[in-house]
Amino acid sequence: MSLIRKSSHVIKSSDITPESVYMNRRSVLRTIGTLSTGLAINAWVNDNVRANEDQLNVSPNAKYSTTESINSYEDITTYNNFYEFGMQKSDPYNYGGEFEPKPWSVKVTGEANNTGVFDLDDLININALEERIYRLRCVEAWSMVIPWVGIPLAKIIKKLQPNLNAKHVAFETVYRPQQMPGQRRPILDWPYIEGLTIQEAMHPLTLIAVGLYGKELLNQNGAPMRLVVPWKYGFKSIKSINKIHFQSKKPLTSWNIAAPKEYGFLANVNPEVDHPRWSQARERRIGSGFFGTKQPTLMFNGYAEDVASLYTGINLRRNF
Amino acid sequence: MKIIVRIILLASFLPYILLNFKAFGFFGGLGANPVEAIIHDTGIWGIRFLVLTLTLTPLYHYSKHEVVRTLPKPIGLVAFFYVLNHFLCYAIIDQAGDLGVIVVDIIETPYLIVGWAGFLCLFAVGVASFNSFQEWFNNNRSTISGLVYSAAVLGVWHFYWQEKVVSYEAIVHSILMTVLVLWRLRISTDKPSS
Repeated sequence: MSLIRKSSHVIKSSDITPESVYMNRRSVLRTIGTLSTGLAINAWVNDNVRANEDQLNVSPNAKYSTTESINSYEDITTYNNFYEFGMQKSDPYNYGGEFEPKPWSVKVTGEANNTGVFDLDDLININALEERIYRLRCVEAWSMVIPWVGIPLAKIIKKLQPNLNAKHVAFETVYRPQQMPGQRRPILDWPYIEGLTIQEAMHPLTLIAVGLYGKELLNQNGAPMRLVVPWKYGFKSIKSINKIHFQSKKPLTSWNIAAPKEYGFLANVNPEVDHPRWSQARERRIGSGFFGTKQPTLMFNGYAEDVASLYTGINLRRNF
Repeated sequence: MKIIVRIILLASFLPYILLNFKAFGFFGGLGANPVEAIIHDTGIWGIRFLVLTLTLTPLYHYSKHEVVRTLPKPIGLVAFFYVLNHFLCYAIIDQAGDLGVIVVDIIETPYLIVGWAGFLCLFAVGVASFNSFQEWFNNNRSTISGLVYSAAVLGVWHFYWQEKVVSYEAIVHSILMTVLVLWRLRISTDKPSS
């Protein structure tokens, strides 16, 4: 059990990355942008994506931290599965530059009292952001440790007041093929869709992230807002969300549509249930280098103590 | 003539040289998951050179170009070099050389069984091509050719099967291999003596 609840173990992200590297660059670039030659704007857009240095006002949540070493900002921002920008791990970093996460609005529909179109700031109180250091386990058997910045999804849901018919929450990624080159190809059935049960969505571990390492999310990580469900395989944590829908029946999910025998609705991290084409018993921790050995994968990605009770009586082999 | 063959052979090692430079941090390095990068890179170049080896046969059949005639064996060996690297990186780096773990991993993972079978086919051809086996190699052309075709089909299958979503490259290799196998079958039924 590596989920530590002692504040002495909390590593602040500012201890890890020197901030000076990113300082002042944005204002300089903005000035260049106002010169408004096509070239300058283009350079500004590209640089803005690579180093979006907007600092967020964050308080670390001591309850959700870890003694494990955190992955570097570089690892987290250059090695991504975000097929909207392409299938290679480096594609989101290389081809995410055209995407414009601001301004952003989210359409809320379905079984809730407070539906409609919300600005990002209306949904997420920028002054209530917390830092949580979570493990992320990809279905491809690699993992990272990431200092997210966000708020519990439960806080947003309470604001939206779902009614008693709302047994599930469905999410959708924005569909912008002009800005997302991967969406111009039939890699998946676009737009990307995901979903949770209302209990999972309301669980205190479930986070809506708007930043990492104390800074706003970059495009490749799902700017401006994404889901983080640390006890489930990474593909559940849908990125760049612009639609939330409360519904009674179980939502469809993109990977389940693409390969129903390989990717289930629950998709809980489970070392005992292998993916049909590879083992899930062990994982490679990114950043462990050439000769780092694989480590055993933990049930519910090490969050069993917190979430196992959500699944009592459910056959997790059948409901993979 | 010889100089052209040599240039082609040297060029075929460029991806390997580039990979080594990347391993030492040049040209952007290998990224956050260097083990995966090396395994994927050597694997994909193994497939490319295998498919190229088999493409040379019909190419010679229609062009009768002397350079093309001499290329299949060296290019096949280049493919073997990449595939051997691919397998050794998987076994020694990814699985830390733990034989028990490797055996279980291969048995439990369908695309690894296919890849392993393809590797064994290619390994047999690679060993047979050494000087001491030269006579046997030359006298058993059809066996050798059958093994190379098997290795290529299994290799492409292995590549195709491990992908989460099918890539353009997997589709291209699959189509090429289908055409090459069909062409080969047609040729061998046309001229049973060859």
